[in-house]
Amino acid sequence: MSSALGWVLVGLGLAVLLVRRRSVAVSAVTVQALVLVALAVHAAGGASDRLAAGALAVRSVGLAAFFLLLITRTREPGPVRGGLAPLRRGGLGVALALALTWLVPTVGFASRNAGRVVLAVVALGLVVAATRRATLFQLLGVVLVENGLVLAALQLPRTSWLIEVGVAFDLTLIAVVAGVFHRRIFAEFGAGDTEVLRSLRD
Amino acid sequence: MTDREILAGAPIALAALTAGLLWCVPRGWVTRVALGGAVPTGGLAVAVCAVAVAGAGHPYVGDRVVVDAAGGLLVGVIGAVGVVSVLASPGYLRTLTRALVGEPRRATTYFAVLYAFWAVLLAVPLAGNLGAAWLLIEATTAASALLVGFSGKAGALEAGWKYLVLTSAGLGIALLGIALLAAGVPGRGLGALSWHSLPTYASGRGPALVVYLLLLAGLAAKIGWAPVHNWLPDAHSEAPAPVSAMLSAALLPTVLLVAWRCAQGMAPVVGTGAAHGVLIAFGLTSMAVAVPFLSRPLVWKRLLAYSSLEHMGVIALGLGFATPLAMAGVAVHIVAHAIAKTLGFAAVTPLLGHEPRAAGQAVTGIGRTQPLLGASLALSLGTLSGVPPSPLFVTELLIIAGGFRAGRGWPAAAAALLLALAFLGLLRALLEVTLGETAVRDSGRPAGLRGVVALAATSAVLLLGLAGAAVWLPGTALVQALIRGVS
Repeated sequence: MSSALGWVLVGLGLAVLLVRRRSVAVSAVTVQALVLVALAVHAAGGASDRLAAGALAVRSVGLAAFFLLLITRTREPGPVRGGLAPLRRGGLGVALALALTWLVPTVGFASRNAGRVVLAVVALGLVVAATRRATLFQLLGVVLVENGLVLAALQLPRTSWLIEVGVAFDLTLIAVVAGVFHRRIFAEFGAGDTEVLRSLRD
Repeated sequence: MTDREILAGAPIALAALTAGLLWCVPRGWVTRVALGGAVPTGGLAVAVCAVAVAGAGHPYVGDRVVVDAAGGLLVGVIGAVGVVSVLASPGYLRTLTRALVGEPRRATTYFAVLYAFWAVLLAVPLAGNLGAAWLLIEATTAASALLVGFSGKAGALEAGWKYLVLTSAGLGIALLGIALLAAGVPGRGLGALSWHSLPTYASGRGPALVVYLLLLAGLAAKIGWAPVHNWLPDAHSEAPAPVSAMLSAALLPTVLLVAWRCAQGMAPVVGTGAAHGVLIAFGLTSMAVAVPFLSRPLVWKRLLAYSSLEHMGVIALGLGFATPLAMAGVAVHIVAHAIAKTLGFAAVTPLLGHEPRAAGQAVTGIGRTQPLLGASLALSLGTLSGVPPSPLFVTELLIIAGGFRAGRGWPAAAAALLLALAFLGLLRALLEVTLGETAVRDSGRPAGLRGVVALAATSAVLLLGLAGAAVWLPGTALVQALIRGVS
């Protein structure tokens, strides 16, 4: 994987962390996933690899359609503000990405660069899930983490195609369930904002 | 397929088949089909447990399926808890005024998802490799999150959402660990991640330690270990009571089994001290976080949830000590905890019928206004607190003694102190719930009480038997087999 492609993948992850509009974030995650599909097709060495790439493609397009459907069905009166200002979110994301690339050894990856891109995308996904208040953004954070792990599977020579297909299936399942929750939260509270989910305390 | 693989697959297949059947049958048949499928599924699970424990010295270890004593024990627990949960569900559904799905499909959706959750959960302890175990654990999240939020109330939506996002993010971290692990073991495909292949990780001790920490930190989010336990009290308190029983008594120890298999597999690479040290650290942290909450007046289900946090800590501690004494304690602890928690959550429906305020506040004096219900609650809480002759009293002694025997004096002493504090907190709660001040309550018999009393009587017999087993177990071949594991 070229370093330019690595920067594109990280940049798309950073976009999800910073943008305000849900549709733009969904587009960024989907483009990232489709880049991964292209990488998977390019690296496919046999029928099982092509099957895993196909599952990833179906998952990417299916989730994009599902998320856009959710957005049209749950129109927010105004953008849900993030828990942190965009600059702080970005700073936190970059800091965690740097920390992870420093702490986690990238032994076994096709290249050191690829390992760093994987860890950066995973870190950005975790920060999206932790700092964005909108329910859909939190879900996109989980998808971003999984995108990073798909890249890891592509850059590690010994990953089972069965597990890759299984992960794509599981993520789709999780996304659909999260979609059900998103719609119900929107119906109950009038906004897909996790700030309203603070009633349970001890 | 071998005989053991077929036997291991039978309860899973039956639960999955029942889940599928529930979508197809007419509405009027749903409850009957659900109840009809419960006992055969549970029976098959107990049969798997019996075969695994009887053949503990010769576990079946394949790349896809493992039938060993530890896995078999968990399958038995999941089977038994599942039966009680399904049988208690019609009573819960009758009290439901709203839900995620409309009335026409409510029972169908509830039972089908419950059975799907049960089927996947039964498969986790039998998974022969880490990759498949991860996929199954992630699948339990999807099914159980729907059940946690099933009532559709604001609190349930909040709890379900937290559970879904936190555990998915945690499992993502574990998956990163799996990907890095796969890069360092020889071979390719599912076999490369089989439990007995983990010790062949060849990228060095430093990377192995990072991989191990990623795996355990990720799984900790699902086990509910502190400090990544935030979803646990909310999910347990907002889920339907039969589902809370499944979460607490079956799901948490099952994921803990996977964490333990990781520890066993990675111990030869990262070092036994480090592998066990991480488990002990999670155990002590969880107990320390749980203790202050156990000393407060809490809503009944939240009290049980914090007790789960404490007991997952105790089990982690026992696995970390890893001596025959501690392992015997862990085996009995998992079963006794499951019995007490299942009874505690099963009692929720009659408790709410008798005292509706129990849904939102700590209640007192139930033993004075409804003695049979009070006795059931007391049996559950007394067992969990470790009041003699509770088997948990014996198992906690075994685990602490095992800690001293392992040369882990300070963690064992800290655990003894935390257990004493937790005991005092739960004893206070026990006295308040049963003999505390009474309020004006309906004197009629609440719905579901007869079933709970029958369950309490059965539980009392089983718990006494377990207390005896806990004394007899150390030094047996079964404990030696547990220590050997499958790696």
